[in-house]
Amino acid sequence: MPPVVSLNNILVLQGDSFKLSVEHLVLQPGLIYALTGANGSGKSTLLRVMALLTPPFEGTIEFSGNKTNNPARQRQKVTLVEQSPYLFKGKVIDNLSYGLKLRGIDNNERIRRITTTLANVGLEGFEQRQAKELSGGEIQRVALARALALKPELLLLDEPTANIDSSSLQGYEALLRDLPKYGVTVVFSTHDPSQSQRLGDQVLRLDNGRLLSSLQQRLDERSNLYGT
Amino acid sequence: MGYLGESLLTALELIINLDREVRTTAWVSLYTSSCAIVIAALLGVPTGLWLGLNRFRGRQILLALLNTLMALPTVVVGLLLFGLLSRQGPLGPLGLLFTPLAMIAGQTVLATPIVANLVLAAVTGADQRIINTALTLGASRFQAAIQLLREIRFGVMAAVIAGFGRVIAEVGVAMMLGGNIRNSTRTMTTAIALETSKGEFAFGLALGVLLLSVALLVNLFLNVLQQR
Repeated sequence: MPPVVSLNNILVLQGDSFKLSVEHLVLQPGLIYALTGANGSGKSTLLRVMALLTPPFEGTIEFSGNKTNNPARQRQKVTLVEQSPYLFKGKVIDNLSYGLKLRGIDNNERIRRITTTLANVGLEGFEQRQAKELSGGEIQRVALARALALKPELLLLDEPTANIDSSSLQGYEALLRDLPKYGVTVVFSTHDPSQSQRLGDQVLRLDNGRLLSSLQQRLDERSNLYGT
Repeated sequence: MGYLGESLLTALELIINLDREVRTTAWVSLYTSSCAIVIAALLGVPTGLWLGLNRFRGRQILLALLNTLMALPTVVVGLLLFGLLSRQGPLGPLGLLFTPLAMIAGQTVLATPIVANLVLAAVTGADQRIINTALTLGASRFQAAIQLLREIRFGVMAAVIAGFGRVIAEVGVAMMLGGNIRNSTRTMTTAIALETSKGEFAFGLALGVLLLSVALLVNLFLNVLQQR
């Protein structure tokens, strides 16, 4: 099976200054990747590069082995849910319908997907609720449902549990853990080392804008373990 | 009852009885201003949107030009278009001078910078996440821009209404390009100036009351939109 996405020699600059460098990164289908690193290490930037929102200064991104010649088309395979997601004005159903309509999905299938996905994120019957009346946690879950309804190959989540209260956290994590069953590859960023171990099949570490290689990661873990 | 009181009573009588002259003049005003604002919206909304979303060399100059155009004196617009449309002018053969079309053209020139500038302000003040959210849900750049317009629709409507308020109350363009011809190009503003100078104060006052009512309705509507 070809990798969902592969990044080669990616360099992102902000103005003239260095922001992110990824020599080589391959994401295999059906896995959950935890993206960790300190504040400002480049986690959000890497997610935005993979979401094709931030074009790299150098390097190539391939989806399922194909180069991103048509970003608009490729963007339909990958969806990013930001840390503070924006919900469009109107009802929850309008938000979930948006991406489905762009993909030309018919009304019956749209309604079916919306109902199922809202139920999956614990928001059954929220279709007619106004987006502006939702709480922070509900906004986060509607944004996740809006992304999941599109059945993306790659789901990118920037600090997905930052606005989730502790009582809902377990349910939310269980939902994330189940996503690979539906053929979704997940990359989520987190500050919580235990969460990255709990949820991630593989942990990706960023340090000052550089993605550490798995060898480097193991060496770091070893040096931490032995205090050298 | 004094002169003003008697005139006001006569004016109200003219309005209540739907005096033919008052009716025709009000219709010409509403017709030309409505046509002008529709064209100005078609030109100004995309211009404001484009300027708000793109950063390019020379943008600051364009913004300065747009701001200058916003403050254009109506008689200057009338004068310039008079030069173009008069018999000796380059567009003279079209025979547009002293027709409602000439007035619509002049009022469009007046309203377009207002609409464009206010739409630009609405785009600049909009939530920065809107475009990226639309993109990450699979929209093309154009579809994302349309979604942004939907999100700031009240700001866009306010821009159009402000433009309408400007053109329905102007005198210079209507006088110079319309020629104040009875039942053809005589608007409420030009009729007020003419009738008052002829000593028909009550008639002028009737039109003044109508014009004020239109301005009041426009502003009330604007206030409602701004509170949403």
